[in-house]
Amino acid sequence: MSLHLVADVLDEQLRDRNGANAGRVDGIILLLRDGEPPVVTHVEVSPITLLARFNRRLGRWYARRDARLGPGRGVPYRIPWPNLRREGTTLRFDEDVESTPINAFEDWLRRTIVERLPWS
Amino acid sequence: MKKFLQVGLGIVTSVGGFLEIGSITTAAQAGAGFGYQLVWSIALGTVCIAFLVEMSGRFAACSKRTIPDAMRERFGANFFAILLLVMLGVSLLVLGAEIGGAAAAVELATGIALPVWVIPVAVVSWLLLWRATFGVIENGVSMLGLVTIVFAVAAVKAHPSYAEIGAGMLPTLPHGDTAKYWFTAVSVLGASISPYLYYFYSSGAIEDKWDASYLGANRGIAALGMGFGGFLSLAVLVLAAVLFHPIGKDVQDYHDLTQLVTPLLGRTGFWLFVAALGIACLGATLEIALSLAYLVAQGFGWKWGEDLEPRDDARFSVTYTLLLVVGAILPLIGVDPLKLTEISMALTAASLPVGVLPFLILMNDKEYLGKKTNGRIGNAVVLCISVMALVLAVVSIPLEVLGS
Repeated sequence: MSLHLVADVLDEQLRDRNGANAGRVDGIILLLRDGEPPVVTHVEVSPITLLARFNRRLGRWYARRDARLGPGRGVPYRIPWPNLRREGTTLRFDEDVESTPINAFEDWLRRTIVERLPWS
Repeated sequence: MKKFLQVGLGIVTSVGGFLEIGSITTAAQAGAGFGYQLVWSIALGTVCIAFLVEMSGRFAACSKRTIPDAMRERFGANFFAILLLVMLGVSLLVLGAEIGGAAAAVELATGIALPVWVIPVAVVSWLLLWRATFGVIENGVSMLGLVTIVFAVAAVKAHPSYAEIGAGMLPTLPHGDTAKYWFTAVSVLGASISPYLYYFYSSGAIEDKWDASYLGANRGIAALGMGFGGFLSLAVLVLAAVLFHPIGKDVQDYHDLTQLVTPLLGRTGFWLFVAALGIACLGATLEIALSLAYLVAQGFGWKWGEDLEPRDDARFSVTYTLLLVVGAILPLIGVDPLKLTEISMALTAASLPVGVLPFLILMNDKEYLGKKTNGRIGNAVVLCISVMALVLAVVSIPLEVLGS
């Protein structure tokens, strides 16, 4: 089966192994090889990558902010290409999104804002 | 039987959700300023939104996708960023107008100044979104919105000229004040063809887990619900044409709007008007805040759903919370809801093609809809009305701004 990287992969909805929404494919990492066609190694899921597509300085600014959230933050999360499979119109990866940093900002919002508001 | 009930409920909620401060104000200004001459703008706007609502329901039922989800996927992040910025910019103004409209209703009821009520209205809206399920918001608030039928009752009692209403269905050139005529027409179109309405409807279809078996129900809801909603807007125009136009009275303040029903229905009419304005604007506030939060969450692929607890979709919940805070700022600092409504409705019309044209491309994509893609009539109607609204807006907004 052939895949068009921009039409069929970039900006596609990602779901984890349980079917939960896990962001979108914000970037695609290619490995360039001498004399051979490039190969896709990873996809990236991160506002850092998305913002850098609009403006590189914006991406770097967000990365610096994101780095303050804790160790391992400040860099885009990468999913190895072999871990992805296409199901209908979405891409599914073989991990639980809660065990990845994809929802780190959501967790931070939950702890610092939502759980402190009344009736949450 | 279950589907029949759902169609009935869908129609009722569509009618209840159609009228808000935008459609009430612009229809009243059209009737006051030009009698029955702008009936055509309500008719065109109603036809266009009925087509768009039917399409958005069909898209959700057939593709199991929401519109923003497919927009980001099909047109990429750059286009989605433009759509998001335009929708947020325009809809936040409309949100401010709706919060102001609900606060104005409380002011009319209590006599205490509008700005005092802005924060309570925003807090009640937030509480409903925070705690209530989608069903409560969609059905409960919209059912209460049926009180807007008061405008139809008053319009019948006003004994309007049905021949002149019929004649107003055909667009005619203005007899004077050309800039105001076209600006009012554009505002009526913007108030009728609210993008948040069909985004909300499409997300609702996903929340309610629609499939292809709902296509017939969807057509019925879109045609009858939007049709009756447009009929209520027409009733407001008729009331202003009968009561305001002959004496040259203009709608310059939301207090003027109470005079649409009180001469015909007395004190009861006044209270029904206050209830209609308050509930309609509160319902629209909830729908706009939810629609924009859906747009953001679906575009970025987050977890979302009004039926989830706020802690389970924190980004979605915080998004509508922030939108309500930002939306409340303009009425809070004293911007008149009527002025805010006028400009936001015209800007909505001007921005229509940004959301509508790519949506039409999606509606013709077999990858999403299989055999249920758009027909030529649907494409032509929505395309023509949206482009017409843009052209009229580009011409009339500067003229109106310069004129005033």
